Amino acid sequence: MSTADAAVAPAPAPQAYSGLMDWLTTTDHKKIGLLYLMFAFVNAWAGGLFAGVVRLRLWSPNSSFISPHLYNEMLTMHATVMIFMVIMPAFVGLGNYLVPIMIGARDMAFPKLNAFGFWMMIPPALMMYASFFTVHGSARGGWWSYPPLSGPQFSPGAGESLWALAIILMGIASIMGAVNFLVTIADMRAPGMGWMDLPLFVWSNVITAWLLLLAVPVVSGVMVMLLSDRMFGTGFFQPGLGGDPLLYEHLFWFFGHPEVYIMILPAFGIMSHVVPAFSHKKVFGYKGMVIALASIGVLGFMVWAHHMFTSGISPQAQIFFSTTSLLIGVPTGVKIYSWLASAWGGTIDFTPAMKFALGFIALFIIGGLSGVMLAVVPFDIAVHDSYFVVAHLHFVLFGGSVMGLMAAIYYWFPKMTGRLLSEKLANWHFWLFFIGFIWVFMPMHWLGFEGMPRRVAFYRPQFAPLNRFISAGFLLLLAGGIIFTYNVLHSLRKGERTSDPDPWGVNDVQQSLEWTTATPPKPWNFDEEPEFVPAHD
Amino acid sequence: MNMDPISTSLPTPHGGAAAAAPPGHAAHSDPSAHAPQPSGWPLLLAFGIGLFATSFFLLASGYHVMPLFYLSALICVLIPALGWATTIARERHHQDPVYTYRILRRGFFYFLLSEGAIFGSFFAHNIYLRYAHAKTWPPVGAPYLDPHLAAIGTLLLVFSSFTYHWCHQAFLKGKKALAKNWLLATIALGIIFLCIQGYDWGKLKAFDKFTYQHGAFGSEFYWMTGFHGLHVCVGLLFLSLVYYRMETNQIDQTYNFSLTAAEYYWHFVDIVWVLLFFVIYLL
Ligand code: HEM
Ligand SMILES: [Cu+2]
Repeated sequence: MSTADAAVAPAPAPQAYSGLMDWLTTTDHKKIGLLYLMFAFVNAWAGGLFAGVVRLRLWSPNSSFISPHLYNEMLTMHATVMIFMVIMPAFVGLGNYLVPIMIGARDMAFPKLNAFGFWMMIPPALMMYASFFTVHGSARGGWWSYPPLSGPQFSPGAGESLWALAIILMGIASIMGAVNFLVTIADMRAPGMGWMDLPLFVWSNVITAWLLLLAVPVVSGVMVMLLSDRMFGTGFFQPGLGGDPLLYEHLFWFFGHPEVYIMILPAFGIMSHVVPAFSHKKVFGYKGMVIALASIGVLGFMVWAHHMFTSGISPQAQIFFSTTSLLIGVPTGVKIYSWLASAWGGTIDFTPAMKFALGFIALFIIGGLSGVMLAVVPFDIAVHDSYFVVAHLHFVLFGGSVMGLMAAIYYWFPKMTGRLLSEKLANWHFWLFFIGFIWVFMPMHWLGFEGMPRRVAFYRPQFAPLNRFISAGFLLLLAGGIIFTYNVLHSLRKGERTSDPDPWGVNDVQQSLEWTTATPPKPWNFDEEPEFVPAHD
Repeated sequence: MNMDPISTSLPTPHGGAAAAAPPGHAAHSDPSAHAPQPSGWPLLLAFGIGLFATSFFLLASGYHVMPLFYLSALICVLIPALGWATTIARERHHQDPVYTYRILRRGFFYFLLSEGAIFGSFFAHNIYLRYAHAKTWPPVGAPYLDPHLAAIGTLLLVFSSFTYHWCHQAFLKGKKALAKNWLLATIALGIIFLCIQGYDWGKLKAFDKFTYQHGAFGSEFYWMTGFHGLHVCVGLLFLSLVYYRMETNQIDQTYNFSLTAAEYYWHFVDIVWVLLFFVIYLL
């Protein structure tokens, strides 16, 4: 018998709560998306504060402002918070908000699971912060947490274990989210919308979800092993017991490199919306962009040991991983050229979103180039574990992911809230971030060449002037952050209202469903079921 | 091994939008009915899991906390889980069964892929130590892992994949009594498998004084078989649930996703075991 014959009773209108209860029980993908964004926002302040403490300690070569012990805690928690509790949830939140609307769906495939994914972030976040108050303080083995440093012998106390446990729990949330995205995009597209009609932000979420689905479980497994080594005396990574710390590095970076793409691919997607929108042109080379995204996703699983060139892996392995890493530069270059071509010859509106997008291109090119340099083994051996790597990772993560995130927020804020952000404050925010960023992170290349090691609370006195310069630049970033926060909080209540479905006039040129529905969208997204009629050119 | 008529008649994954309609494509006049129902269970379950993890953590760190605390943590997981399950069972009658079946099946399949990746990290660990790190494998002093008994367990588990498959087929053909018998056989085989593994563990511990603290080799052996054993236990719970739902007529030829999910899960557990057996006992 065919199951399709079965009668389907019409659904009752959803129960309505209001106020706090509404937020606590919501299964609306848009509200959950906003919850993720708020979560990221709050944690960004904590993570930024930790960075400030790190910079204060580095004000002088042998500072007494905080102990080296606390420095290690701050450094570890800064990276952990920024990666797992700011950039990842912020992009998941944006994806949550936008993907169903962009594909013309009413919600995610599993709305309750979606809510679960968000709430699953809260207990581990609390664990992370609570670990500061345990006897030996929080984790301090770095976000990579290599054993034996993170093992029971050198990191006694509950902090490191809580850290590993929290990573496992957040992993559950990520995996559930990835499943939800993949099913939603595969099965809930509006009639008429094929795979090659998907907006590039949706495509970037497809690839990101695959990376999450296959990479995060590996770090969960590794954290189980690490935790078990610490708590039950097993020997997975304990050299004295026949385990191998080098293996930890392999497994960690097998996750770790896809993880950095998890943090940049959504920003790539955002760029492909913002740049064409304010250049009043269509995306240049759509097909090539999809292929580039997919090949970055695949190659991303084959480059992990470029983080381990100095760890004693064989020359053959070095050559292999160097080659694959250099290869990734090709699809990355394709993407950058596509954004440039999307802007080329257009009439450009220098809105704040566009400024952040152009800032992204400028800074990400530098970060990508330093990445390609690091992929060359002899060069990497010279600067590994120096501030050059810190410069690289911040150019791609701050100059890339965060600038992309900001572009997204300035671009979609009116759609999400029905209010406009102050453009004047936004410009201040942009210039403070852009100049402050270059001020802080550009000199780090130099420090790296000069041989200043990263991850250490002390340094040789001749580095002091540059370090002071950098620490002072932190104030610009702080000011930018304050202005941004004020702008958002103020505009949420008092910003100019708009109910224009398409305030930027995006759909005059492009075809993107989120600009066809009400501003802000109704809980059911679309009054009429959207039909997608692909405009082939 | 999925041959049931429903899924084969379903469009291929890439059939995409041309296939069965998502909810909301049905004729409704009031668009607000398309908004999803709010629910407090996700939040409660997340906090239950957080509490449970915390209590596990305290226990393993040797803190002495009242047993009541562990008990309440467990309750905080179970009640939301049950509440959530009942809500879903209630809501399913408002959804297009073909569509619901399809998204659940795909979602569950992807979930199993990620489970496979967790096991993958353990396999990678084993293979790496064996071929790239250890001087000898098994290391000096490690006991001989006798494959004979485990081989019997392997055969039984593989057989149970077939019995479950027959159960599924019988149920879809409407032969409920037969389906229940095959299901009971599957559960019995699963339990026997667990007993054999338990006996193996006991023997290794008692005679060879071999424990998980016996270096990386012991850690791998106990974690890999143990983690798999945990999956068998979950699978058995899953099968019992299916049995219960058959018994109480909660599944029929239209709504039977739990039957398929259990099938996927059980085959998954089976495949992982065959690989484990090969890597741990034979290699
Ligand atoms: C063109 C592509 C890229 C190449 C070839 C590349 C290459 C490298 C290499 C070789 C290292 C290791 C340096 C060392 O420790 O000695 C590294 C570190 C790093 N990269 Fe990249 N990278 C690229 C793009 C990216 C992107 C897009 C991101 C993130 C958005 C990223 C984030 C990082 C991070 C976070 C680290 C530091 C990890 C740590 O040790 O804590 N990279 N990169
Ligand atoms: Cu990398």
